[in-house]
Amino acid sequence: MFPAQFEYHRPGSIDEALALLGEYGDDAKLLAGGHSLIPSMKLRLLEPKHLIDLGNIASLKGVRVEGDTVAVGALTTHYGVESSPEAKGALPLLCEVAGQIADPQVRNRGTMGGSLANADPAADWPATALALDAEFICKSDAGERKVPASEWFQGLFTTALEEGEILCGLRFGKLPERTAATYLKLQHPASRFAVVGVSAAVTTDSAGKCVQARIGITGVGTHAARAAKTERLLEGRVLDPANIAAAAALADEGFDAGSDMHFSESDRRELCRAYVERALLGVLERANAGQFQP
Amino acid sequence: MKNKVSITVNGVERSAEVEPRMLLVHFLREELHLTGTHVGCDTTQCGACTVRMNEQAVKSCTVFAVQADGANVTTVEGLAGGDGLHPIQEAFREHHGLQCGFCTPGMMMAASQLLDRYPEPTLEQIKHQLDGNICRCTGYHNIIKAVQSAAEKIKARKQAQGAR
Amino acid sequence: MKLDGEVVLPQGTDETWKRINDPVVLKACIPGCEELERTGEHSFSAVVKVKIGPVGAKFKGNVELTELEYPVSLKLVGAGEGGVAGFAKGGADVKLTEIPEGCKLSYVAEANVGGKIAQLGARLLDGVAKKLADQFFANLAKYEA
Repeated sequence: MFPAQFEYHRPGSIDEALALLGEYGDDAKLLAGGHSLIPSMKLRLLEPKHLIDLGNIASLKGVRVEGDTVAVGALTTHYGVESSPEAKGALPLLCEVAGQIADPQVRNRGTMGGSLANADPAADWPATALALDAEFICKSDAGERKVPASEWFQGLFTTALEEGEILCGLRFGKLPERTAATYLKLQHPASRFAVVGVSAAVTTDSAGKCVQARIGITGVGTHAARAAKTERLLEGRVLDPANIAAAAALADEGFDAGSDMHFSESDRRELCRAYVERALLGVLERANAGQFQP
Repeated sequence: MKNKVSITVNGVERSAEVEPRMLLVHFLREELHLTGTHVGCDTTQCGACTVRMNEQAVKSCTVFAVQADGANVTTVEGLAGGDGLHPIQEAFREHHGLQCGFCTPGMMMAASQLLDRYPEPTLEQIKHQLDGNICRCTGYHNIIKAVQSAAEKIKARKQAQGAR
Repeated sequence: MKLDGEVVLPQGTDETWKRINDPVVLKACIPGCEELERTGEHSFSAVVKVKIGPVGAKFKGNVELTELEYPVSLKLVGAGEGGVAGFAKGGADVKLTEIPEGCKLSYVAEANVGGKIAQLGARLLDGVAKKLADQFFANLAKYEA
């Protein structure tokens, strides 16, 4: 399959990329890892006249620890995160998530920023960006803009990224002490996308009481979102199997879940509740074993 | 509108004028006539088109040739790096790690990355790292045996070289 | 792929019937519709530009209204054409019911996607089609001549 004809641009800097984006506007698409964009172009679902390849911009790549923050360049590949000693040391949940995305070849090319800008309803990173309350760094001619994860995902493949803007990186703040986290995913065996993916980060005090719970869910609704009711029910209560079960029973509320050829809406909702419960039990196990995020 | 690309393929620099929409796999097969790299599903799933690009295993049906400009690409034809067989190729032959053989080039290129990253892989690691390659004959059993055997062969070869 | 939905429109069934048979209204309400022409008494051809994430291209298609039972039900039959790597065709059963608030419109649509696009695109197109259908009916409810 061949995509439609396009003109290829390979800017060497963010400013050059912004200039190209300003020049071609609606006729242009930004190319990161290309592992959603290129398949879509091959199917002729997308026919951009100009492709602006961000792959040559070194400043958009890499994981850096800056004080209490982990900064990930938007063009860092999933494998780049998976294998990053910095990420492993400062926020190992990122490595855990990255290693579960698609397959090794896709992880070598696909990027964190590309995935988050595309906002596929079944992609893995969105759940974790929400659970870790990431900050999205966007650049345009007007300068830099920071968007919290809670405002990023607005609908099906729709984000807060505006025309003429480039998502340049993500910043993950330090988690409170005694935060255990996990990512649990039911993987579709053919596409490897998440049928449901649950990213959970829960802070407990020394008595085992939940101080803060953040749970991001992907795959269930038209876009990833937090399980707000589950979080509220957990906070202030002891993180134990009974409270987890009660809280997980509310996990699918507020999600616009649909049916498809694989799962009916009610199956999908049940999977969502079950996977939230299992993810939280996994978090509890880690908390009991003293395995907290640094 | 064509772009000039220069890609080092199996150690030899190859240049051509290509349409930007030309996929790397077509560049390899149709421009360079390196037909060991196969097109299976053409939708980033089956892994038959796997090559190493700057050491990384990639599905060449999902990379434009223009993106590989300046890169080092190794295809199955360059795996052994000379005459004779690479230990992975030997192991696939010895353990009958193929039936129809269609997925084999991609399988071996994925295996070569696997063994670079995990020189002494566990069974779980082999399975997880071959996740991006589909064998339609479902002959995974012998493929896994071949990868385990290749790991031993590479280790033995390195030890022999070290002893010299 | 199957889509269904229900929407309450402030207009009565008579007015709703007129609207979904009127190319001017349809053009205004179909999201991204650039051209819509009547090709027969009950058939239209359309050019629609879709721009949602991984779908961003112009699609050409034909729509025919059949099994018309004024003003309670009709069937929409459509097929897409163009450069897409695969094909898409489908139909929708539309029912109109007079209610105190105006008119309840319910639809059950079935779309068949084939060719290469079915392997990969179905997963993407499901959500996109649902979103477009929702937008269409929201626009229809809001439409003022």
